[in-house]
Amino acid sequence: MKDWAIQISNVTKVYKGKKAVNDLSLTVEKGSVVALLGPNGAGKTTTVSMILGLIQPTSGSVKLLGGDPKERSVRDRIGAMLQDVSVIENLTVAETIDLFRHYYKTPLPLAQLLQISGLTNERSKMASALSGGQQRRLGFAMAAAGDPEVLFLDEPTVGMDVTSRQLFWDTVKAMAGRGRTIVLTTHYLEEADQIADRIVVINDGRLVADGTPSQIKATTIGRTITFTAGSSVTNEVLYGISGVTDAEWNGRRVRLYSSDTDRLIAELIMRGVEMKDIEIQSGGLEEAFRSLVSSAKED
Amino acid sequence: MDTSVRRAAIAQLKSELLRTMRNKRFVFFTIVMPIAFYFIFTSSMDGDLTVDGIDWAAYYLMSMSAYGVVGSGITTLSQKFSRERSQGWSRLLRITPLPSWAFVLSKVIAQGLINLCMIIILFIIASVVKGVELSAAQWIESGLWIWFGSFSFMALGTLVGTIRNSDVVQVVGMIVYLGMSMLGGLWFPVETMSDTMRAIAHAMPTYWLGHGAWNLIGGGAFDWNGVFVLGAYVIGFVVLSSYIMRKQEAV
Repeated sequence: MKDWAIQISNVTKVYKGKKAVNDLSLTVEKGSVVALLGPNGAGKTTTVSMILGLIQPTSGSVKLLGGDPKERSVRDRIGAMLQDVSVIENLTVAETIDLFRHYYKTPLPLAQLLQISGLTNERSKMASALSGGQQRRLGFAMAAAGDPEVLFLDEPTVGMDVTSRQLFWDTVKAMAGRGRTIVLTTHYLEEADQIADRIVVINDGRLVADGTPSQIKATTIGRTITFTAGSSVTNEVLYGISGVTDAEWNGRRVRLYSSDTDRLIAELIMRGVEMKDIEIQSGGLEEAFRSLVSSAKED
Repeated sequence: MDTSVRRAAIAQLKSELLRTMRNKRFVFFTIVMPIAFYFIFTSSMDGDLTVDGIDWAAYYLMSMSAYGVVGSGITTLSQKFSRERSQGWSRLLRITPLPSWAFVLSKVIAQGLINLCMIIILFIIASVVKGVELSAAQWIESGLWIWFGSFSFMALGTLVGTIRNSDVVQVVGMIVYLGMSMLGGLWFPVETMSDTMRAIAHAMPTYWLGHGAWNLIGGGAFDWNGVFVLGAYVIGFVVLSSYIMRKQEAV
């Protein structure tokens, strides 16, 4: 049995007669870095809020670290950077972080939190005097204060400049390297690609795609070739063919992801790969992604 | 209380104390202003003036101490609650292990400690500078009366703080604070008021806060009426504000 950090089953959230999240099921394994990708208003924040127990699903069930997100024992093991949270007034950076450290049983040292958020030089500044990007990094330090097993980052880089962004992702990667589960939301495919080992695409409150970044990229910018493979076909053989970004096995049925399926099919035939029942698909995600990309451009 | 909750609540308490004392508006309106009023209105009046047989300097000390803690309760707590809600803080705190009751309690205790200090400072100033003379029992009893009474105005503060827009809260808080203080006879004694104004004053919790203290230093019996009225106000404020908050949070 796998060790799940998050289990959501058949969750629906209705707001004023509209389904913000529609029958969503998702499980996240401990130690993985998952990006919830989708345009604004797709239901990412609603989903995260339900996982965190901030809002109640209309139907369906949510489990965080095997329990109810409203339990103190669960909250002690999570941290989150939420959207639209301003800084607390009349406290310095170090005081704010230190206050959060005291909420948790096993906090990270203050110096380390200042360092990972890149705020060591600003430690004595009033938090309200920080720039927008610095305030977001302070939010990250607060989210990380309790050394959380599951870290939620809701649109974390909004308001950050390029340097802040890079520093931020480096830090998140370091956290991920320590076996932490990280769930982030973004509407930038590149960001998701850079950091996540799994991308879940959400649009109109529904899960429209779920896979590794290369699978997602292939389905969005490319196509797939599916066939029943002969006995001589192995994973190594397939990955040895240029143009294959990913291979997915289902019994003897294999799906290859590629940005250029026309060239790939020629290559497969030329190499004499044993194939039956070949299907070349344009992928149903294209449309979802077109809307995604177009709304990302609007920002 | 669980040790980890206590640790968190104490850290919260310290932060709240720091935050309030760094708030210039708070320091001006609820510490500097009562002291200044006290000096202005005790110096400009005839030195032999008495109200209900109580020496004016002592009477007005009670008024201004009450006035200070009323402001501290109404304006500070309403601002904190409203701003923290509108700025997303309360939402963020809900995902931390700090229980919400510990969060509210630490704010109330912090304000209570500040109020106690305010009362002591005013009392010391009055006794040293203005030569107010009361028996030890009167000092302690009147001080404690005002201090305990101050908690009912924190309840009023949380009620005002349920208004979502924090700019509106600031204005409403000020109006309620200054209005209630004036109407309740903390600025000018009710004895100088017309019958109508006096009737209005008697409906104000501020009047009862002052009345209990004036009564104690005037040698009167313990003001059970005042306890009853202030207690009723507390229950009313708390019930109303928790009802509003529950309605607002029901998503």
